[in-house]
Amino acid sequence: MPTTTTASDSLRAEFAELVGESQVISDPRHCATYDVDGKDPRCVVYPSSAEQVAAVLKHAADRNLAVIPCSNLTKIRTGNPPFRYDVALSLKEMNRAAYYEPADLVVSVEPGMKFGDLQEFVGRDKLWLPLDPPGGATCSVGGILAANASGPLRQLYGSARDMVLGLRIATTEGKIIRAGGRVVKNVAGYDLAKLLIGSYWTLGVIVEATFKLYPMPLNRATFILPTGTLGIARDLRRRLQQSPLEPMRMVLLDREAATLGRPGSPASADIHEPEIWIEAGGSKRVIERYAGTLDELSRGAGISVKREQADVAEDAWSRIADLRTVLTTSYPQLVILKTVLPIAATEQFISQAQQASAQGKLRIATIALVGVGVVHVYLLEGLPGPDLRDLINTLRNAAVSLGGELVIEWCAPEIKAGPDRPNQVDTWGAPGDDFEIMRKVKQAWDPKGILAPGRFIGVL
Amino acid sequence: MRPSRIIRELNRITDPQAVLWRPEDLMLYEYDGLSSVRPPDAVVFPVTTEQVVKIVKLAAKENVPVIARGAGTGLSGGAVVTEGGIVVSFARMKKILEIDIENQRARVQPGVVNLDLSLATSDYGYYFVPDPSSQKACTIGGNVAENSGGPHTLAYGVTTNHVLGLEAVLPDGNVIHTGAKFCDRPGYDLTGLLVGSEGTMAIVTEIIVRLTRKPECAKTLLAIYNTVADATRSVAAITARGITPAALEMMDGFTLRAVEEATHAGYPMDSAAVLLIEVEGLLEAAEEQTDEIEAVCLENHARAVRRARNSQERDLLWKGRKNAFGALGRISPAFYVQDGVIPRTRLPEMLEHIAQVGAKYGITVGNVFHAGDGNLHPLLMFDNRDREESQRVLKAAEEILVKCAQMGGSITGEHGVGIEKNEMMPLIFSADDLEMMRKLKAAFNPAGILNPGKVLPTGKLCGELRVQVSAGAAA
Repeated sequence: MPTTTTASDSLRAEFAELVGESQVISDPRHCATYDVDGKDPRCVVYPSSAEQVAAVLKHAADRNLAVIPCSNLTKIRTGNPPFRYDVALSLKEMNRAAYYEPADLVVSVEPGMKFGDLQEFVGRDKLWLPLDPPGGATCSVGGILAANASGPLRQLYGSARDMVLGLRIATTEGKIIRAGGRVVKNVAGYDLAKLLIGSYWTLGVIVEATFKLYPMPLNRATFILPTGTLGIARDLRRRLQQSPLEPMRMVLLDREAATLGRPGSPASADIHEPEIWIEAGGSKRVIERYAGTLDELSRGAGISVKREQADVAEDAWSRIADLRTVLTTSYPQLVILKTVLPIAATEQFISQAQQASAQGKLRIATIALVGVGVVHVYLLEGLPGPDLRDLINTLRNAAVSLGGELVIEWCAPEIKAGPDRPNQVDTWGAPGDDFEIMRKVKQAWDPKGILAPGRFIGVL
Repeated sequence: MRPSRIIRELNRITDPQAVLWRPEDLMLYEYDGLSSVRPPDAVVFPVTTEQVVKIVKLAAKENVPVIARGAGTGLSGGAVVTEGGIVVSFARMKKILEIDIENQRARVQPGVVNLDLSLATSDYGYYFVPDPSSQKACTIGGNVAENSGGPHTLAYGVTTNHVLGLEAVLPDGNVIHTGAKFCDRPGYDLTGLLVGSEGTMAIVTEIIVRLTRKPECAKTLLAIYNTVADATRSVAAITARGITPAALEMMDGFTLRAVEEATHAGYPMDSAAVLLIEVEGLLEAAEEQTDEIEAVCLENHARAVRRARNSQERDLLWKGRKNAFGALGRISPAFYVQDGVIPRTRLPEMLEHIAQVGAKYGITVGNVFHAGDGNLHPLLMFDNRDREESQRVLKAAEEILVKCAQMGGSITGEHGVGIEKNEMMPLIFSADDLEMMRKLKAAFNPAGILNPGKVLPTGKLCGELRVQVSAGAAA
């Protein structure tokens, strides 16, 4: 269609003026790789500086073009279908470290830096950013912040909201503003960084993030507690909470997840559903203390704890922290649900999820951060649309009645509610009594509604 | 004198005993831990969120300011009245509504005293982490407003890292609930935005906080130095070894002599500086880290490293630190405490600068601060009856903050901005940064009736502040 080509070409030219000829691509095949819930952008823009990001946003706002920022697309399926989508703003080429002071445990990086590259960069000084988000080493720092993504390490270290010291943010007005700073303690002004983290690119575009770094633990060890039943798992979780132990990671895995975590391991034959995995960090003496205390706790619950080999453990943790990557090729119909709950309700929710899926004869895997109150449910196989919708609604109702919420992190676009499909399921669930303020906050940052329009909670 | 129409309305909302309006009563509410400007027109003591809603609606209708107030221990003038209006005191909303040990949460009203929550959860083996030095008096509502810190925030973070949800009243009287008992509630992190907003966006009426398991073991060390530089170098060296103590505090010779005379904590009178260091966690980890820290301090020329042998010795060492501000009140008619932050590797340079600034303005400066965080608390001694000296103190303090900003630091690490530093915000924020903050404030508080004149620059000159002594408690 020559008219479309012309329109895209003129759009390409407009952005090329801001970021350079080679940094804008409007070839439909290229654009198709940036599709969001079935919509392709008209062009993909690759800015290489914060100023360019600001210029692109300003131009888009002036022309009322919808922009969806992204890097490596590992979380792009989270969100309602966009109302409109003109420009993919790829931050991939902004992948430099802007500041690094190991003695102060501080690093500032651009948003397109791959998480694995950041870890390698600071790892030279035996430092790390203790996050293990879905997408693993391949996801970008910007993506982690946009989604406030975290994994099992959250048990000890919290989430990005606890690690970010400051942000630089490009706004739809074309300005670059600063939130926070480069020091570990700072209460000057409103905490805009908290607001941006987890805003799914709907307020502004993070162009630089400063993190506080942590010293790597000297040694690590993984212990597996084959709990056998959810009842024993709950009992053990309570004992662990009351113990003085401070594990780095603590997860509860059902049989499917435990097997997926350790495929082909000799242990996988005798996996007892469910299992609690615990990772401890510290000196050799501290690790031995964990071994001793965990042994005591387990015997008290009538089970015996096993220490996993280091190499198997490392592989297993990275598989379960990024189970989506492990699963997407074998299970193209994969649906991932993130449930957030009061800690005490986690096992009960898992039990309800198992019952609901058994009724639908559906294979699921569940991974629960039992010390935090997060349960990820992986629906492995496809279901006919209405059945899947019913199942998700059942699980959401279960989560809500236990005092929590459920978010769809990953699914095919057909299932999602959108402007043309109001009867499907909403990604985020019902907003609360603070939604009107959220709408005003969005209005303050993005008055024209050009950033990821419709994708966030309440179709913001 | 007859109560005004607003007072009569307030009496109807609460009860007559819950409203103060006589000048002699109002005087008690014109100051906080920093200074005073003028008394409010009324002070009201609600007992429910519904009453707060009615008070806010009345204030909105009459277009008078509303200033929320906890214990008034704040050090940046956050609770000071600038243009009159109604002070909403949370002194009667001090219930711990729920302690939920399995979920590691508590739900409290804003007037609950910080330490009381830790005492109430202590039998379960839990505590509330943020521990400002005023924790025996300050309220959790005040902590939320100022995003307060304390010595133990080095390892565990400040108030914002321990607050999961809020109930808050907006200026239009709507009540919102942000966050939740669970983490990652979908939507913008309004809880994170409201913590530290100093009552300028909404009035918080209920708080969900995280409770933390008490560590198995805590070990406290006192490292004694002949030079300040050796002490500050030890701070950086401890961090470089990969050790994160639970607390890492420094006191210079001037301060510790004053403290010792007041509290007899056992600090050496003839040293130039001490580090008060605490490690926490599993017994094995705490023991190993204690040994390592001692070695690092000795390598950096500590004259001696003492270990607290029991909890009495530990409490005594901390008593000295937490009462440091009060102790200084014994030797100077007034002092002005600053709260700048710098990267901790720049501590040696910064302390030298502070000493130079003191000499330049002819002011005695003591230092007692959270060294591990790079959070400075220079204490500038002066006589508040001497107007000229008061002005010199303000200039000296500003010069120190300018240096903090130049080093890539912040003008406040835990005391907040309030009316003390709002005009200094341009030192670290651009006009565009501040404009976005203004827009966000307007999203919550469009008419500006909540705590006016705080946080953001008003365009008036600073230096008009009446700095007064704040005896006793401070972080």
